[in-house]
Parts: sequence; C-alpha cells; structure tokens
Amino acid sequence: MALSFGKDSPAQGIGEKAHTTFSRGAGSARGARMSSTGISQVLYMPQLLFTLALIVFGAVVIWSASLTIPEASFPRHIFGIILGMVGAYGVWRYDYRTLSNVSTALLIADVVLMLLPKVPGISWSAMGMTGWIRIPIIGLRFQPSELAKLVTILLMASLGAEYNGRIETLRDYLKLCGILTIPFLLILTQPDLGTGLIVLVAGASIIICAGAPRSWVLVTIGIVVLGATLVVVTSLTPGLPHLLKQYQLNRLIVFVDPSVDPSGDGYNLQQAKIAVGSGGFFGKGVGNATQSGSGFLPEAHTDFVFALMAEEFGFVGSTLLLALFGGLIFSTISLAQRVESPFAKLILVGIVTMWSFQLLQNVGMCIGLMPITGIPLPFVSFGSSSMVSQLMSVGMVQSVWRHRPKAA
Amino acid sequence: MSPIVFIATLLAIVLVALVLLVLINRGEARFTFDIGGATPRASGGGDNSAEKGFKSRLMGLSVFSGSIIGMLFARLWAMQLVSTDDYMQQAELNRTRTISTAASRGRILDRNGEELVTNRPSLCVVASTEVADNEVEIQLLANVLGMPPTAVKRKIQDQTEGAQSLRTVAVDVSRRVVSYIDEHKYLFDGIQVEERAQRHYPMGSRCAHVLGYTGSPTQEQLAESQEDDSEGSIKYESGDIVGQAGIEYQYESVLQGVRGEQTVYVDADGNVLDYATTIEAQDGSDIVLTIDSKVQEAAEQALLDAINRVRKTGNTACDSGCAVCLDVTNGDVIALASYPTFSPNDFVGGISNDDWEMLSSEESGYPLMNRAIAGQYPSASTIKPLSTFAALNYGIASSESGYDCVGFWTGFGQQYGQYCWNHDGHGWMNLREGIVYSCDTVFYEIGKAFFYSDNPEGLQETYRRWGLGEPVGIDLPAESIGRVPDADWKWNYFTQADDYARSWQGGDTTNLVIGQGDLLVTPLQMACVYAGLATHGTIMKPHLLKSVSSHAGDGTIMEYSEEVVRKVDEQESSFALVDDGLYGVIYEESEAQASHFLNMKEVVAGKTGTAERAGEEPTGWFIAYVPADNPKYVVASCIEQGGFGSDCAMYVVRDIMGAIYGEPDTSTAVDTSGVR
Repeated sequence: MALSFGKDSPAQGIGEKAHTTFSRGAGSARGARMSSTGISQVLYMPQLLFTLALIVFGAVVIWSASLTIPEASFPRHIFGIILGMVGAYGVWRYDYRTLSNVSTALLIADVVLMLLPKVPGISWSAMGMTGWIRIPIIGLRFQPSELAKLVTILLMASLGAEYNGRIETLRDYLKLCGILTIPFLLILTQPDLGTGLIVLVAGASIIICAGAPRSWVLVTIGIVVLGATLVVVTSLTPGLPHLLKQYQLNRLIVFVDPSVDPSGDGYNLQQAKIAVGSGGFFGKGVGNATQSGSGFLPEAHTDFVFALMAEEFGFVGSTLLLALFGGLIFSTISLAQRVESPFAKLILVGIVTMWSFQLLQNVGMCIGLMPITGIPLPFVSFGSSSMVSQLMSVGMVQSVWRHRPKAA
Repeated sequence: MSPIVFIATLLAIVLVALVLLVLINRGEARFTFDIGGATPRASGGGDNSAEKGFKSRLMGLSVFSGSIIGMLFARLWAMQLVSTDDYMQQAELNRTRTISTAASRGRILDRNGEELVTNRPSLCVVASTEVADNEVEIQLLANVLGMPPTAVKRKIQDQTEGAQSLRTVAVDVSRRVVSYIDEHKYLFDGIQVEERAQRHYPMGSRCAHVLGYTGSPTQEQLAESQEDDSEGSIKYESGDIVGQAGIEYQYESVLQGVRGEQTVYVDADGNVLDYATTIEAQDGSDIVLTIDSKVQEAAEQALLDAINRVRKTGNTACDSGCAVCLDVTNGDVIALASYPTFSPNDFVGGISNDDWEMLSSEESGYPLMNRAIAGQYPSASTIKPLSTFAALNYGIASSESGYDCVGFWTGFGQQYGQYCWNHDGHGWMNLREGIVYSCDTVFYEIGKAFFYSDNPEGLQETYRRWGLGEPVGIDLPAESIGRVPDADWKWNYFTQADDYARSWQGGDTTNLVIGQGDLLVTPLQMACVYAGLATHGTIMKPHLLKSVSSHAGDGTIMEYSEEVVRKVDEQESSFALVDDGLYGVIYEESEAQASHFLNMKEVVAGKTGTAERAGEEPTGWFIAYVPADNPKYVVASCIEQGGFGSDCAMYVVRDIMGAIYGEPDTSTAVDTSGVR
C-alpha cells in the first residue's frame, strides 16, 4: 500500500515547494481583512472572552466545592489562575514564530520535562500520585507532563509545518509518527495513560492536518487499535505479559459493565452519574448538592468536577459549560482558518484537539461515555499545573493573533 | 443509555468520520485536478492546494470537536432532562438511612405491682464474625475487657445470636472500656460499642420458671415474622430481644412493642447530618401476673428447705421438686415454683454455649424444666378421692362399705398378693377411713371389683372426667398432658412383650386405683383436681395473666376474664364423704402431721401421696385446700425422690399456707409412723 502512495507524491512535492513563498504573500492580503481596531489589534477578543467566562464559571464551581470539601482551597485556585495568567502573558508577548525552527530544542525540552519527575531530589509522589516534581526552596508542586502537552504540540507543529500542507514521502510520515511516540512513551512511564492519550491524539491530529495521506493515517490507526487490543488482551490473559496496570484494566472492565466493581471505580462512576442525573434542569443550587457535598462523589473538585457542577447547576449549567467550550474551540478553529502560516495553523489544531479531547474524556467519564481517567477539565478542575498549562495554551493562541502578519 | 444504544452511537460517529474523510479526500482530488484549469492567481502559478487542503482539514477538525460537544449534549439531555427522577431517587437513597428505633419491651409485674422483670440500659461490645480470625485484635480486646482471649474468641464464634449478626462479646462494660475503644478505633476494626436496653430480672431466679427467658430470635421466628404481613405484626431483626420461654414467650406479642423508624440524612462515611422523618416506636405493654411475689418467695424457699431437710437425713437422691398454689375461686396462680432453678439474667445478652449446655444437662437436674406443669409423676394416693367417686358412681362401694386390712392383700390369689403400705394392717376400714389412713387394701378391693365389673375402665373414665390425661390450658408453653393408662394403651405401648404381658391385668387396675404404676399426672393437673374437690366440681382455668397495662399511661388495657375450664358432676353426698376424708387426713392420720396444721386458724383438708418407682426413692406428694369450710386456695407440692409425702411435700404446702395467712409453721414434730 505504501508503495502505491509513494508513486504520486514526488510529482506533487515539486509544486508544494514552489508554492511556499506565495502562501506567505497571500497571507498578508488576508490579514488586512481581519477586524483591526484598538485592543483587538493585539488580543483575539472572541477566544479571550470565552476563556475568561470559563475561568469565572470554574472559579464559582470551585468556590462552591470549597464550602464542603476542605481540600478545595479557593485561594489556591485563584493563585493558580493568577500564575496561569502570568504564564499566558509571557507566552502572548513572545513571538511564537521563533519556535518554528527549533524543533530539536523543543524535543529536548520535552524529554527533559518528562524526565524531571524521575530526578531524585525534586521528584515528589504521595497518595498514589506520581509524575510530580517539587521545586526546591519554593516548595511548589508541579506536574511537568501538563506543560509537556503544550511543548509536544509546538514540537509536532514545527515539524509538521515543514511539509507545508502535504506529506509526500512515507519516510517523512513515519518520522513524524516516530517522534510523536517519544513523548507518548515517556508519559506512559510516569505512568499517566490519560495525559499520554491527549498527547497522542493532539499529535496525531497535527500530523493528519499537516497533510498525511488518508490511507496512511487509516493504516496507522488500524495498527494502533490492533496494538491496543493486543495489549488489553494480553493483560487480561494470565501468563502473558501485563502491560496495563490492574487499576487500568479495572477501569476498562467497569466501563464495559458498571455492575462489576473490582476496585471502587464502578462505585465512583455510579456516583458521578447519579450526581449529574439528579441535577435535573436547574440543578440543586450551590450548597444543596448532596452527592458532592456529602462525600458520595469522589474527587469532586478535581477529576469529577463536572459532576459537581452538573449537580449544582443542572442542565442549564451543563449547557452553558458546553457552550463556552464550544465558543472557545470554534473561535480558535476560526482563527486557524484565517492565519496563513502552517506552523500557526498546526499549533491551533493541536490546542483545539487537546481541549476537545480533554472535554470528551473528562465530561464523558462523568456520564459513562468514556472510561475513567485522571484527566482534568480545562479551566475548571482544581489544580494549578493544569490551569497554568491551559492558560499558556490560551496565551499561545493569543500570540498567534498578535504576531500575525499585518496588512502593510 | 443502554450499551446497545451506546455502541450504535459510537459506530455512527465512526461512520460519519469515515464519510467525511472520504469527502475531504475527494475534495482534494478534485482540487488537484483543478490546478491545470485554474487561472493563475498570482505569479508562481495557481497551486493553492495546500491552502485548500488546510481548509477542509480544519472543517474535519470542526466536525470532530462539534460531534464531541453534540454527543455530550445529547447524553446530558438524556440524563438531566429525561431520567432525572430515576437519578434523583438514587441520590435520595444514597443520602438517607432508615434506622429502626427499638421499642422498649414491656415489664412483668406481680399482682401487687412489684417488678419481676424490667429493662435497664447497658453498654455492650459487639464484634463482627471476621474478628474471630484476627488473633492480634482478639488479644487486644481480651486485654481491654479483662477476659481470656479464648473466651473472647468463643463469644465471637458463638452462633446462638444468628449467623449474620454482630456477636456480643461483653455486656455491661464500663465507661473506661468504652472510651478506650472509641479513642483507638483504628485498632478495633469490626468492633463496636452499642447501647442496648437489656432485660433485667431484679430478683434473680425468683419466679424464673414462670417468667422464662429471652434471647435473639431463632431462624424460624425470623422467617415466620417476615412472612406474617397482618396488621401490627412484629418484624424481627436478628439481635432483637425475643421471649423464648415462660411468660416472656407466651405473651411475646404483648411485651414486644412495635419498632419505630427514624430516617436520617448521612454523608458518605455514614455520619448523621440531619434528621428527616420519624415514626415513633410503640413500647410493649406491661404484663401483670396473678403471682404474689411474697407467696412465690415462700414457695421457693420452702422447696429448698424441704429438699435440704430430706438430704440431711441421708437421702441425697432427692434433688428436685415443685409447688403450685391456685386460687380456686378464679383460677389465679398465686405461686408456681420449680427446683432446681436458674437465673433468667444468664440469658441476657446471649447465653454462652457452655452455660446452655450446663442448664440443659442431666447432671444439673434440668433446671430449665418447669416441673409444676411439665413434670409427670404417678399421682400415688392423692388419686384416692377420684377412685372413691368412681366406686360410688359405679356402685362398687357405698359410704357404708367396710373392708378388713391385714397388711397383705391376696384378692387375686396368694401368688399375686400385694402389700398395703401398712404391713401390720389397718384393721376394719370404711370408705372414709380408707381415705384418711390411705389404706391400700380398701382400694385394692375397689380395683378388683372394677376389674370384674361390667365397667372395667370406670376408673379411667372418672379420672379423665376430672381432667387427667389432657392439658389444663395454663398460659405457659410446654405443658405436659400426663397419661391415664387403659387396656388399649397398654397393648399398643408394650409392642415387644408377649400377648399376656401386653393385655390388661387385674394388677394394673389395683395399681391404677391407688395411683401407682403407669398413671402419670402433672402437679398442676392434680392442683386443678383438688380445686374441683374444694369447689365441689367447678374448676376454674388456671392462669398467670391478671391484666395488661400500658407502660406509659399506667392504665389497664385489658383485664383477664376468668373462665370455667371444667365442670364435674358428682353427687353432693360423695363430695361430703371425700371432704370429710381429706379433713381426716390432716387432723387424724397422724399426730405429728396434725400438729403442723393445728397451729393455723384456718381449717385445712388435703391428701398425702408417695409414688413408687422401681430402684428409686419414692416421690412425695402433698395437696391441700384451705379453708376447708369455704375453700379459697389449693396448694400442691411434689418432691422427686423425697420419700413419704408427709415427710417432705407436706412442709412445702404448710409453708406456702403460712405465707398466705401470715401463720408460720411452729411445730417441729416429725412423723415417725410412716403415714403416706
């Protein structure tokens, strides 16, 4: 199969390369059509407003959670937001374009980030949480894999952009896929399958949008699905190597049949569904949520924060949240359609995919559509690492806007 | 959402994605095709396929993100708008717990309102069955409770409380122990402290056989109560206190009360956050007994004294007995005692296997057995008044009949000769004297006449008419019925013997007529017979329940209505003859016996009896009613292997009468003549 696709790619390849300079030129003409008054010259307002609305909504939810859950410290949440905004400001001021040619440096940064939790002295793990580092002196705990998601997106975008919309040779395609597996496998060693999946899906999305031929992609997906199935089957079969941890298997088993409950995950899933469903149309209101307020819903302020929100604010709240995410995602896609630089497009593609997939994963697991994973809900879940990296992603989108080629 | 719908949705999404991919691909292909024909837009040619390619791929991304949001929205719609009620209900179930609140069990009082059974609060240590496997925890618990670890383990393994329930390790533990366990909860996994109302018997073993005892419901009681859906029925839970014997068992439904329900809101750890609805528990009602605690105390003491008196003479086979006192005018049971006895307190909080085995063993003399209603003995000479009625009714004898007693009776021939208890002979005796001196020869003659008469079972017919061989119907469980032997019974009973031995013989009749041999009666049956003698034929149903009263309001809910259990017709002249004979027994049979009753104002009439069993000391009987001219009480006593009735049972009867009338026995005279 690969051979047959190899045939026509060289012919197209010539045209692509010749086209590069033209594309930049056309971009400046388009840039002139963008709205361009005052502050919106430097800030992409639609996306920013949706982000701010989400942060405010999330803060309200965490505040209500802090009423009954001692661990959900509202000041710490606000601190995370401020930290994230500082990070976002830095990223916004920084010209993202300088990153397009430093893919080697990005790869190194990625690898270093992934390996940080393994470094003695700063690695930190407690209560079953791994993949954390504790910055000496300040004592701040941080999850480098959250930041690594963003770095991986930049890395894949910078590599994918080189092909300018069309990957002609199988060798290039395989090179991209191979590089993506590096951060993926590193995250798996943490172990953090959830974040690994986000990286994989976001990276794959970038490769596809970078112009990978459809058939190669389908074959790759097929191989990945087959491989995953094989891993699950061998893990379930006694005697064969168990690549999945028992708790991961349990989550899959519970997902298929919630009535069996080998580890309490079935209970968690059931409680989350009850919380969401019992919220009804208007919700039970702040402070009246019995599922999250009385401790039936586990991790109500972190992984299952959506269930808490849905119980307190009901269908109205759920719809608002989905609408805000929709606005965030589609405004970003809209920007991606308008910028010309493939690098910028691919960065936005990666970020949009990350948000979409995290939304699917997090909300999906609360309502029984996805297996349970420890993926936070962007901008809402309690936890500074996620908040900082998500706000930096927003900063990256804003940077793309700020550094767009302007009309002469 | 069912799995099928879910899978279908997933498949649909995959399908849509594939179709889109194909469309995008086609779009690219067409666009590539277009390159040649398109007008160059600017210098460098018209190939903007990359730009177009990005556009359609971003469209694909939009579809990807849009379908995620759409799918989540649809699912949320289904959960939060369609199935809300179902989830609401589950959330409600999650946070509410219904705790049953115990209804306090009714008290049991004597006729004067004295508390025989009450309730007291008690702190108990209970453990789940898994704790039995944890040696460290058992050792720790044993140290805290000051019990040997083996005892702790045995208590936890003890199954008398039911297979599933928390096992009681210790009752009435001190505050110190409770606070230690509360402060070190992490050490005592599966162990709890509960406050329970415990049954309390303030006077220990007093009245034990009447009161009975309580325990956890048996598997049968649990199952039965679950099936019973009638109004106000009690639903037992494992660990409830349920009457298992005596009045506690008989009036269980009155005493038990109805459990209340308290619905509370709890958090995930089971801590109570708030109270919702309450259904008040209905306490059980109090039972007022006909028992007079003072007379009961005297009866129990008299039994103990009488048995000790016998044992002091060297007869150590004597170890048990009973006494019963009835009010002949209404059937009230004034006292009912049995020895050996037990303390119902031993059953509180669950009796241990060891204690149970001890209480139900032969060596300890079966203390749980209520001998007054369940003990079966030959009636011996106490039957003679009934034999007299039979003789008079069937024309076997008249008040003028006379018999010559020479001590050895040979009415069925020399080889079948039988002794009168007085081997020297009583001389010439009429029917009245036959009763007074309990002359066996007189009744042997009557028996012989019955054996050869047209009514060979006239004796049995008379005994049955007076209620022998069937239950009296007292309000206690486990009453025995005794046995009135006849030819049919004998033939069917001795199936292994030869035909001659199985058939009814003259000797059987002469045994029966003096109450020996195969006749079996309970002391309560005989007390009822003498009540009938006292009232000239009207036997009131003996009963222990006097009234039921509400625990809270002090008001009487229900009063026992007396009832005639048996009306026996005999001729007035026959009653007069028997009355006279029973008077004679007390005051004429022996001087020593008379001396014990001459120190009472009230005139007494009664009868001794001495039941013989091969290889055993004889069992002594004494039954009497008082006052003889206007009878009020009948008192019966029976001492197993106590010797002659006048030597043991007589003292018990006299002491009980002494307690009733406040006239203690002052005579120390001991009978030496061997009257029976």
